[in-house]
Amino acid sequence: MKRERGDILKDLSDGVFNMNEELVIKFSHEAVAVGLDALDSINNGLIPGMNKAGVLFDQEEYFVPELLLCSDAMYAGIEILRPHLKKGSVKEKYKLVIGVCEGDTHDIGKNLVKIMFDASGFEVHDLGRNVPLASFVEKAKEVDAHLICMSTLMTTTMDGMATVIEMLKEEGIRDSFKVMIGGGPISQAFANKIGADGYADNASGAVRVGKELMTGVAV
Amino acid sequence: MGTMESFAADNQTSLERVLSYLKGEKPQRIAAFPLILNHAARVLGVPVGVYNRDGKVMGNAHVAAWKKYGHDLILIFSTTSTLAEAMGTKMKFFDEDAPQIDVPLIKQHSDISKVKIPDFTKDGRLAVYLEATEICVAEVGSQVVVSTVFGGPFTTAAALYPVELLTRDLIKNPKWVHELLEICTQAGLKFIDEIFKRKALPIIVEPIGSGSLVSPRHFHEFVAPYLKRLADHIHKTGGGMPAALHICGKTTPNFRAMLEADFDIWSLDAVDMGEAKKAAGHRVVLIGNVNPANMLKNTAVEIDAEAKDICEKMGDRIGFILGSGCEVPINTPPANVEALINAARKYGRFDN
Repeated sequence: MKRERGDILKDLSDGVFNMNEELVIKFSHEAVAVGLDALDSINNGLIPGMNKAGVLFDQEEYFVPELLLCSDAMYAGIEILRPHLKKGSVKEKYKLVIGVCEGDTHDIGKNLVKIMFDASGFEVHDLGRNVPLASFVEKAKEVDAHLICMSTLMTTTMDGMATVIEMLKEEGIRDSFKVMIGGGPISQAFANKIGADGYADNASGAVRVGKELMTGVAV
Repeated sequence: MGTMESFAADNQTSLERVLSYLKGEKPQRIAAFPLILNHAARVLGVPVGVYNRDGKVMGNAHVAAWKKYGHDLILIFSTTSTLAEAMGTKMKFFDEDAPQIDVPLIKQHSDISKVKIPDFTKDGRLAVYLEATEICVAEVGSQVVVSTVFGGPFTTAAALYPVELLTRDLIKNPKWVHELLEICTQAGLKFIDEIFKRKALPIIVEPIGSGSLVSPRHFHEFVAPYLKRLADHIHKTGGGMPAALHICGKTTPNFRAMLEADFDIWSLDAVDMGEAKKAAGHRVVLIGNVNPANMLKNTAVEIDAEAKDICEKMGDRIGFILGSGCEVPINTPPANVEALINAARKYGRFDN
């Protein structure tokens, strides 16, 4: 029996929220089989589930393990649905470049921020960890990014963030990008000091700040 | 700051000051534990990459740092992954920074068979730590407590197996995680024995158990029980030595679960120390928590103000030690370390 759109979307959302990758895979196949629009299934099924997880993360009900398993389920669903996206159906998105500063290989925080931006409709270009500082600038220019996000867990590498901002200034392109920073030793005061546009102290906060920074910025 | 300042001279050695806490007596002033780790290399003027691979250099660096600053605890340490390194995880070394994990030992669950309790005479850099410990105990152990710091079971597990996979397996494969934690615990128990043999204090660091990573429920199930076995072992075999635990980052959500681990001393980072005191009561001595990035970036005057604020939050200051929230950054200006210690002399007095 063919189920209603609303039921399938709810199951997709609940599957992500409940960290149930197997169910999400099953319902994603069902969505394809009954001819649901793939973008609809992602945006109104998987993503709301992930955002619900983000709310619980904010409230300290979910922690890193739960958020990672929710994202595994979300990405498993997206994998199945992506080939069925209609050409031209995907709208232009805000683009961001994200990475962990050179000299630092700790990336779990950065990965959480990436997941939450993914779930919030940003196009994320992930440079990974231990990223040479010039690569932030190069990649941002290459993809015509709106936002540059840098993270570090270490005090030895935090000054790299200021260096990237200086590089942008030297090239005369500082105003082409918003710059956001975060990570263990980073604070709002440090962000102010180096002239970053935004700071957040956790993954869902990062998305809030990122969205605020995009207010009035054309896609 | 500077010439205008005056405070009574210390009339206790660092060792006497710290022993006052253990005896439940008030010291002349509170102790100061700026967590000087790799920064010791700077005091001796050697590259960090040399410091953390040569026991003599590491020991001499800490003796030199103590002679310069007179802080109340020597901490032999380079990274939280040292035990895991000795068990087979490959580290990446830097000339001017602490090593970081390069290739974790465990790639798939079956690799758990490769995890062995290390040989403390030759695996990884354990011998470096132990030699450094011996040097400090021999040279200044009559005046200051020397501690050797290593990663707790959960942190060691997360250095043997990528933390992103480990955290997922808390939910997906809990039984396997417990098996891994068991081996890490046994390695930790042996390390404690080696440290006690050298008349030093073992200190456990469990940053991966931070509230930024795991929930109170998971802390209760995967972190606290194993930490408690280390604490019990310290209590049983340490001849009155306290069990000390450091957890960096945000630990507030896990305070209650941390109490289960039965440590006598908590060293805390990004928390409100007043709240921590409320949670821990008089059962736990608290160390904290001048912001480490501020140690690097702020002026000595600002460090003094921040330390004063923390001391005021601690009310009667009984069972309180002024410290940095996490490692004193390698390139911290010496004046900031001195400001932290002087703040203990100014705002932590019991003799007036």
